[in-house]
Amino acid sequence: MMKITKRLYSYYMVWPALLIYCIFFVLPAVIGLGYSFTDWRLDRATLHFNGWDNFRTIFTDDTLMLALKNTLIFAVVTVVGKNVIGIALAVALNAKLKSRNALRAIYYAPSILSIMVISIVFTPMLRADGVINKVLDFVGLHSWNQSWLTDPSIVILTVCAVSIWQSAGFQMAIYLAGLQSISKEYYEAATIDGAGGWKSFMNITLPLLLPAININVMLTLIGGLKVFSEVFVLTGGGPGNASQVVGTIILRSFGEGSWGLGTAINTLLFVAVTIISIPLLMFMRRKEVAE
Amino acid sequence: MSLARRKAWRLYLVEAIMILACLIILLPILIMILGSFKTSAEVLDFSLALPKKWLFGNYKLVFEEGNLMRAFLNGVLITGVSAIVNIVTTSAAAFVLTRRNTRTANALYLFFFMGLIAPMSTITTIRVVQWLGFYGSIASVIFIYAALNTAFSVFLYSGFIKSIPKVLDEVAFLEGAGMFSVFFRIIIPLIVPVNATVAIMVFMSVWNDITIPLYFLTDSSNWTMPLSVYNFYGKFSRDWNLIFADLVLTSLPVFILYLFAQKYIVGGLTAGAVKG
Repeated sequence: MMKITKRLYSYYMVWPALLIYCIFFVLPAVIGLGYSFTDWRLDRATLHFNGWDNFRTIFTDDTLMLALKNTLIFAVVTVVGKNVIGIALAVALNAKLKSRNALRAIYYAPSILSIMVISIVFTPMLRADGVINKVLDFVGLHSWNQSWLTDPSIVILTVCAVSIWQSAGFQMAIYLAGLQSISKEYYEAATIDGAGGWKSFMNITLPLLLPAININVMLTLIGGLKVFSEVFVLTGGGPGNASQVVGTIILRSFGEGSWGLGTAINTLLFVAVTIISIPLLMFMRRKEVAE
Repeated sequence: MSLARRKAWRLYLVEAIMILACLIILLPILIMILGSFKTSAEVLDFSLALPKKWLFGNYKLVFEEGNLMRAFLNGVLITGVSAIVNIVTTSAAAFVLTRRNTRTANALYLFFFMGLIAPMSTITTIRVVQWLGFYGSIASVIFIYAALNTAFSVFLYSGFIKSIPKVLDEVAFLEGAGMFSVFFRIIIPLIVPVNATVAIMVFMSVWNDITIPLYFLTDSSNWTMPLSVYNFYGKFSRDWNLIFADLVLTSLPVFILYLFAQKYIVGGLTAGAVKG
């Protein structure tokens, strides 16, 4: 039977996808490894192997280190924010509310918009005299007023907040599907046993939501490490270099013609994403099976 | 108070909180929409006040000044063709990979799956496209998007094709059908809903993206809507009413698609993400 299967399902049909994927995704990644160790530049006709020089530059340059740090901050803050808010929204909108469908649609809506659109809309709102500070004044929180996009110490957190605003509703949609696959009987049994809302959330909802948590954490983490557009439009990496991330640094190196260096940063991102996500993927798979 | 009444009150409370909290989502969107009808002076308070006079002319002006028709058509071409290429190639690949279920097939599946995790290597992709001689063209961008979405689509299709009983294929094979006719006559009709999901997911991500056009479309006449909005934003930075109108127009196509295709988006997400 095995032989027949092999003959019947020929690899012919895999080739087109494999070719496109290899030429436009895998090949650049592979040659990127090689170019990372060269002084490849726009203004030079020939390129030379220069060992670990690019990586030494990355780890000694303050701006580049700051970009790495900001990328990590962005990833961690948005993973927590998007998932905590996503679960909260999903649990609330899984209850039998009258306006449930309308509310679901509203909370989901930002994730269909381009981050370009969202970032431009938020730019005037985040100014010192913008709507957000005015709203804070209105509710009596004047002391919370900030120069959201021009204060170097908080600017990356502002970008995180905009990103969470956009995509928490997307996470909510995945969590809602997860919640709907949990049988009501568990909750009924818990109520009979006298467990309150919080207790049944911790003991029933969260464990049974693990597959959804798994996929959402992976999605937000990988997306977070690859962050580019939000920063590019909201701050352009500024003020100064305060909100540079890996994605914007790569664009800058490309613009400056330091292609070898830019590729090295890309390789570093590649390694970081793989190192962080593959063990996490395996860990979460195991936990899921143990459930 | 009885338990039932306490529960009912709690629901009202949750509902009230959720309605209040959704203002956080609605406020920026309303400021954008209302602002797009105001004068350039009136818009500057960025408030929820209704326009004194609804200036529909803003839209006409933006449509002409922003060169939006061109950008819209570029977007339709790029998203449409890359979604079609993606659907045709990945559904076929996922079909063979899931049906074979051999060691090589599983290794290939993992190889595709890697693409969900790994970030793309932008600068060297430019190099590869230069070698192929079509850097800067719309065609190069179409192939790049098809490649970038390959991993996700193979993943979605595989999950779904696994749930189609293999017996269906076997019966057809016994009747003398070949691989292609099994694929086109049995699998394709059954995966229509997944096709819709993949098409919409690819469409949304490609339509809204700015990174690839920024690196790969050197000629601004090839730009898609989100990137030309950025250009417009730089040029008309004083006229927020026009910027807002441009943003609304850019969002309109995906919003309309969302209205009509809602069930495929959420349905597909859950099929691939949670159960797969």
